[in-house]
Amino acid sequence: MRRPDFSHRQLKLPRGVQRLGVVWLALTLALTAQAQARTLHFAADTEPSRALTIYGVLDAPQVRPLLADFHRRHPDITIDYHNLETLALHARVLQERDAPRADVIMSPAMPWQYQLANEGLSSTVDSPAAADWPSWARWRQELFGFTFEPIVMVYRRDLARHMTPPESHADLLSLLRQRPRMLDQRVVTYDPRRSGAGYTYAIEDARISARYWDLVEALGNSHSALETTTAAMLEGLSQGRYWIGYNLIGSYVQDYVAEHPELVMVVPQDYALVLQRLVMMSRDAPHPDTARRFIDYLLSASAQRLLATQTTLGAVHPSVDGAGTAADLRDRLGEAIRPVQIGPGLLATLDTLKRQTLLEQWQQAFDNRPTHADGPLADPSPLPDAATE
Amino acid sequence: MTLLRRWRLSHLSLYRRLMIWLFCPLAMLVAIMLLQAWFASREAADRAFDRLLDAASLSIAEQVRWQQSRLWMDLPPSALEMLATDAEERVFYALYDAQGHFVTGNRSLPSLPPAGVGQMSYGDVLSRGMPLRLGVLRSRLEGWDRSDRFEVRVAQSREGRQALANQLFLASLVNIVIIAVLAMGVVLLSARFALEPLTRLRRAIRQRDPRTLAPLELALPRELAELRQALNELLARMRRVRANQERFIGDASHQLRTPLAGLSARAELAIRQSEPAAWREALVTMHGTATKTARLAGQLLSMTRLNNPEAAPARRSVDLAALAQRCVRESFARHHRHGIDLGVEVPDHPVMVPATDWQLEEALNNLIENAALYGARQITVKVTDAPTRLIVTDDGPGIPESQRLLVLRPFHRGQETGDGTGLGLAIVDSIARAHDTRLLLQTANPDHPERPGLCVVLIFPTDN
Repeated sequence: MRRPDFSHRQLKLPRGVQRLGVVWLALTLALTAQAQARTLHFAADTEPSRALTIYGVLDAPQVRPLLADFHRRHPDITIDYHNLETLALHARVLQERDAPRADVIMSPAMPWQYQLANEGLSSTVDSPAAADWPSWARWRQELFGFTFEPIVMVYRRDLARHMTPPESHADLLSLLRQRPRMLDQRVVTYDPRRSGAGYTYAIEDARISARYWDLVEALGNSHSALETTTAAMLEGLSQGRYWIGYNLIGSYVQDYVAEHPELVMVVPQDYALVLQRLVMMSRDAPHPDTARRFIDYLLSASAQRLLATQTTLGAVHPSVDGAGTAADLRDRLGEAIRPVQIGPGLLATLDTLKRQTLLEQWQQAFDNRPTHADGPLADPSPLPDAATE
Repeated sequence: MTLLRRWRLSHLSLYRRLMIWLFCPLAMLVAIMLLQAWFASREAADRAFDRLLDAASLSIAEQVRWQQSRLWMDLPPSALEMLATDAEERVFYALYDAQGHFVTGNRSLPSLPPAGVGQMSYGDVLSRGMPLRLGVLRSRLEGWDRSDRFEVRVAQSREGRQALANQLFLASLVNIVIIAVLAMGVVLLSARFALEPLTRLRRAIRQRDPRTLAPLELALPRELAELRQALNELLARMRRVRANQERFIGDASHQLRTPLAGLSARAELAIRQSEPAAWREALVTMHGTATKTARLAGQLLSMTRLNNPEAAPARRSVDLAALAQRCVRESFARHHRHGIDLGVEVPDHPVMVPATDWQLEEALNNLIENAALYGARQITVKVTDAPTRLIVTDDGPGIPESQRLLVLRPFHRGQETGDGTGLGLAIVDSIARAHDTRLLLQTANPDHPERPGLCVVLIFPTDN
């Protein structure tokens, strides 16, 4: 998952590393700077040391404070963090299913991560913290949602001069219906055909409200732009190409908006999808003890507080409140918060026929075609990376 | 083996026997009930959860259609969510076409042999090391253009079923344990109540005066009433025996007292006289009386011995002919002196009978003695074979037919004259009874009314 300002942050890394007193090693000198960023290594300060290998889809700036804090608490553990693309991670875990190398697997691609756990590739974490974890944010004692990231809308601040900015899905629909001419090619959203994340949100949106199809139709009517990443949408919004962005990942938007005052982030009032990063311990993990400790740490109040304050990921832990927490969002939006349910329903998302059906329907609605006149829909290209926004 | 023998020991208390015979079946019953409850709870849990498989596969099958020249399905997420209960089971599904080709799903699942028409088949399968409950729904497209067959296979892991089965089993377990405890209590109590009359009977017997032979008067249940009746019958027999013994002792004392009193009187008379001739006469009389008394005492002794049931001597094979000859030889000289003709007739081969030889000798001696005492001049002892008989014939006065039963009683004499003790024939009768022989008293010579004589016949049973 590439952050929009990834290379910019990358330059600051060595200073941050020194300040944290952490050894930052490139795996090999031959690797490019970008490749270096795909692995983080924290050597143990004491002997004997124990190892911990993590596969994640979380860039260094977000994950570093977390790992550094864990390392400070457990200096005897050597941490290897591998940052992967979601589908690459999925493929790699499946490939290593009989001899897993990773102890802990973290991914925001909920259906994919759920599929791995459902296959029995996860193992039970039986610690008090895991048992006390809110039941809506976990599956069995194996899969834990440890972040809380709403899917948001973004609009340009100067939009208010032309119309009332949208605060909800319904607002957006009525704006699109009332001002189709003015918003022509000014609204941007995910292309569900090319983006796994966009597809996941489309499915969830469609499940929550049948009016989603009206919205897709309206988006098609005003020739909305379709992007594949949140970063691209934010860039277009910042440059003034687009006025309104629909279904952007909140954790990225929050950071970007802080540096781009011309943009405003809106968590929809009627309902807000919430994405959770899911963490699990591998079945037959090479280091189950350290894996358990790390997951225990992720679910602890201190790690959650760190997530809320030093990252934009959002905390789940019920005892942590304040900005950037689940408690805060719930207080503000109440019942409108719709975390994606961690359950077998996610498996339907990954069904090939289901995907074709939904995309066909989406295409029809977007193109305002009552029937598919141009013959059978071809099989869509293989699922793109769910989190390559 | 030793355990078995210990169990069979007859001294195992009735209470323990009852406990064993009641508790063993009870324990088996409880075990069977537990086993049955275990299977029933598993079956009930499976039935309950199979409905979920049923509902989920139906809801999936509804979405199957023909599209783009192939089987098509818009998988409803709710169908999968239906399968995950509170136990958060792992869920698998797959759609197969008529040829058994995988169309879509998250895992390839095996098929199952078809159940009834329009019914789902269920089965426990192991898929990649994971125990799953699989449901297979066979259906066909219901469009007007195509009616292809297809199979919807759904599976879930067993956690929820296991939890429900355990819960159901625990509930049955509690019930069964309660029932078993109650049953044990009832068994213990009823065994105590059932054995209570026995305790009463025991107490009643213990508290009795050891000398009393009065019947037991006690209200008892039927089984024990039979025992009480048997006991009372025994007591009655003992009462009769004691009465007989008392009478015998009385008679014996009386019989002994009379000659002793005679002795005493004769001695007193002799003391008053001064002639030695009188003394001699007295001494002769006293000697006769003393001899008679000694024989009486001897006969009393043998009578007592014969009547003692605890001293039944072992029987051996005895040659009756040899025995008769021996007896006659021994007493021949004595009787010959008194001018009595004692003869013996035996076959020339041994006649074997199972008997106690000294008793038979005693009986024979008594018969010879008896005949001599009552004035016979000719006594014949005869042994016959087939039927085996011992016959003593004399030519004495005989016994009238009316007296023949009475003379068998102790101390009853056919006639008051004579020197008999009144025990001879009684002893013979006792010995005859002890040997299971028939005793016959007959007239020896009915043509001679003055001396008809007596013929005593002992008929031995023929062994077959």
